[in-house]
Amino acid sequence: MAERQQFPYLSIPNAQGTRGLRPFVPITLSYNQHKRQTLGLLDSGADVNVLPHELGLELGGIWEKQQIVMQLSGNLANLEARGIIIEATVANMPTAKLAFAWTRAKGLPLILGQVNFFMAFDVCFFRSRNLFEIEPRSADLGVNDEQENNA
Amino acid sequence: MISRELLDELQQLGRTDKLAIIQMLTDELAVDEAKYFKFGASYDVWSPYDAPEAARTLLGMLDDEREDNG
Repeated sequence: MAERQQFPYLSIPNAQGTRGLRPFVPITLSYNQHKRQTLGLLDSGADVNVLPHELGLELGGIWEKQQIVMQLSGNLANLEARGIIIEATVANMPTAKLAFAWTRAKGLPLILGQVNFFMAFDVCFFRSRNLFEIEPRSADLGVNDEQENNA
Repeated sequence: MISRELLDELQQLGRTDKLAIIQMLTDELAVDEAKYFKFGASYDVWSPYDAPEAARTLLGMLDDEREDNG
């Protein structure tokens, strides 16, 4: 059974040509019989998970069929986003259902935010040691925290 | 950690020397920041850090999904 696992920060080039260490975690997304291995950016400041438009299409998502529309903030505020639930597997941990705001925006990373990645997994950052740890919280979807979030 | 002795010495300096110290520290801080940011560059911030309605909507979807699956 999966236990807590350590991952290194990855050195990722940015638009300015310099490199920076980022907490990207390898993650496999499954939807509609499609499967994609990718990297997700752990973003504890993000209220929600965000799925880039092109990745949603690669997973077989059909934009028009996602009826739940939502409003995002920041750079993503001006583009439409729709809700989609996708199965996600981090390393060899149990598969979790993650709800994503599927944005029209392109060129952004897969963002793993508070709802609901950080509800389904406990994450500890050790930036000074260039590593972070992830532990699956439980078999459920983390929806027990709904009350807290709505408070 | 700033020692008491250092603070005492700084407080005893004259106005001109105090201003020189401030300028020196400001310059050093600017050099530090230049290591991480380029002047005039724009930095995308994708993080939806203030999207509570979207968060509630996704939680509702997860709730519905759980109910549908018994």
